Amino acid sequence: MTMRGVSKSNSWLTVVLLAPTTLWFLFMLILPLIVILVFSFGERAAVGGYGGGFTFEHYLNLPARLKAFQNTMTFAPVGTLLCLLVAYPLAYYLALKVDSRYKLLLLVLVIVPFWTSLLIRTYAWIFILGGRGIPSLLELIGFEGVRLINTPGAVLVGIVYGYLPLMVFPIFVSLEKLDKTLLEASNDLGGSPFKTFMQITLPLSMPGMATGCMLVFILLMGEFLIPAFLGGGKVFFIGNALVDLFLQSRNWPFGSAVSITLVVIMLVTVSFYMRMTLRSKTGRDESLM
Amino acid sequence: MSKSDENKPISAKNFMKEFRRYQKGSVTRRHFLGVTGLGTAVAVMGTAMPSLWPGKAQAASDLGDRLIFSTWPNYHNQAVLDRFTEKTGVNLQVNAFGSNEEMLAKLQAGGTGWDVFVPTNYTISNYVALDLIQELDLSRLPNYDASANNPKFAGPATVNGKVYCVPKNWGTTGFIVNTKKIKSGPKSWKDFFDVTMGAGSGHTILHDYQLTTIGGALCALGYSFNSIDAKELGEAEALLIKSKPHLFAITSDYQPGMRSGDAWMSICWNGDGTQLNNDLPEMEYVIATDGGEIWTDFYAIPKDAPHLNAAYAFINYMQDPTVQALEAWIHGYAPTDSRAIALQPDSLGSDPILHPAENLMNGLEFGAAQTLTDPIRAEVMARFKSA
Repeated sequence: MTMRGVSKSNSWLTVVLLAPTTLWFLFMLILPLIVILVFSFGERAAVGGYGGGFTFEHYLNLPARLKAFQNTMTFAPVGTLLCLLVAYPLAYYLALKVDSRYKLLLLVLVIVPFWTSLLIRTYAWIFILGGRGIPSLLELIGFEGVRLINTPGAVLVGIVYGYLPLMVFPIFVSLEKLDKTLLEASNDLGGSPFKTFMQITLPLSMPGMATGCMLVFILLMGEFLIPAFLGGGKVFFIGNALVDLFLQSRNWPFGSAVSITLVVIMLVTVSFYMRMTLRSKTGRDESLM
Repeated sequence: MSKSDENKPISAKNFMKEFRRYQKGSVTRRHFLGVTGLGTAVAVMGTAMPSLWPGKAQAASDLGDRLIFSTWPNYHNQAVLDRFTEKTGVNLQVNAFGSNEEMLAKLQAGGTGWDVFVPTNYTISNYVALDLIQELDLSRLPNYDASANNPKFAGPATVNGKVYCVPKNWGTTGFIVNTKKIKSGPKSWKDFFDVTMGAGSGHTILHDYQLTTIGGALCALGYSFNSIDAKELGEAEALLIKSKPHLFAITSDYQPGMRSGDAWMSICWNGDGTQLNNDLPEMEYVIATDGGEIWTDFYAIPKDAPHLNAAYAFINYMQDPTVQALEAWIHGYAPTDSRAIALQPDSLGSDPILHPAENLMNGLEFGAAQTLTDPIRAEVMARFKSA
């Protein structure tokens, strides 16, 4: 979109306005990506790091991280879907049901967790899900030996907890600006509440859902903190593999190859996803994309 | 812990009790320092060695107001660190790490801003070869007494005749067992992995650290803790991957899991063993009969340390025998300095976890320099984690 803008206008104002963004993209995105691409074809230096050279060895070695790719490609969509299922009723309530006097307060409450670092909030879940947390309560009512921490379920709980606000807000915005007279009209014409929801509310909130899903999905693809803490190193995402390659084994070339592969997977999935949502009639509202 | 320290101002057990009360805020800092004798000890030390305490005004110009310190979890006495800040005006920013590899990765990438860090014996020669740490000017560390340090532990500090660091503590790497949950009394790494995949399935923690995790697996198979032989490492990888479904977690932060009762066994450094055993007597630290690690940690200064004066002042302070003894009291790791050992309560001086009998340590190996940079070990660990 920006490219089109540049070519169509020669005014110096446009140049000035676009310069910061262009420079930012060039130096903070394009150049680093080129460096990573170059590194990914290099050799690991004897003591770690990048040692020059040219080889395809790291791309051929990608299957060694197959499980991590599989985990990320499973948990990211499942986590996104769970977030959507939990966030939608909440956003619906906030946008359409709640008394306007409390609306602002409740919205602030959704944001408040962001005031504390995700690291600390996720660490807290270790104790809630750990043996002296919920499992000890379950023991009181007769369910012994329940394991919650360091399971895929714990990771999903952490994901829904951490990413929920990112899903709630876009849906809230699209429901908020929904023309309420449409709902009244549907009611007047004898539409049941369910039918009204399915035919009016849900389709009109689709852009918000699409935006929320994309935000959560893209961030989840790079997630490493939640699986490390709540999966105990046993639920291993591609983000964890990257942390490992750069911070433990110092294999920069292989780490770069994994990064490039992740970027390619993201580009393909996201462009496919955008095409799907934009093509569908209900996704025509591009304002949020 | 034995109860033979009645002649000391306070028994180790009471010290821990008072320390917990202080931490929880049930008693004031003044009460804590008074009851434990910590206040007296530090005060006496201060008057005995006035040179140790530059005035605040002087400190501001010479030392600056900040020191960035990278170390390991559960490895310091907070009261000792606070005292340094109080006396010098230098605020400590402490980072805790889970592996030497992670420290090396950060230093290799550059721009860490670290002033002092705590590397383990086997990494020193690598750091020197990579030109990442400074040769120390021992005249600026009057509290360090080379003759008081056992060369067995202090040796790796000297590379090519130059001293690059001074010792902090030494210890062993074995494993901790919750004896209420595991009754079979595992004694070796072989037992450790057998129990992990048997009666204790789902309740074992392995470190997120190639040296100890791969080392433990190698010992269980009858190989050297330090092996870099591709075939032996291949067998170790197979054992680790086979045990993975039976693990509770792969993390170097194993105390929370052990304390909550979720984990029943973990690879463990002996001081953490002491800390766990002090609070939960059912926690038993084991030096494996089929091998393991013996190590020394050191204080070193990175090449590009921004607060060099503060770095020297801090290391010098930490080398004081009283400070070392106060540190060991809390973290449960043995000093290498005989002057500090002499100041310890008898209960610590004869503690079997801190000072194991020589014959128990016969099979232990110091980590070897090549394990740090060996690409196969690094990749075995990474594959095990992503399996």
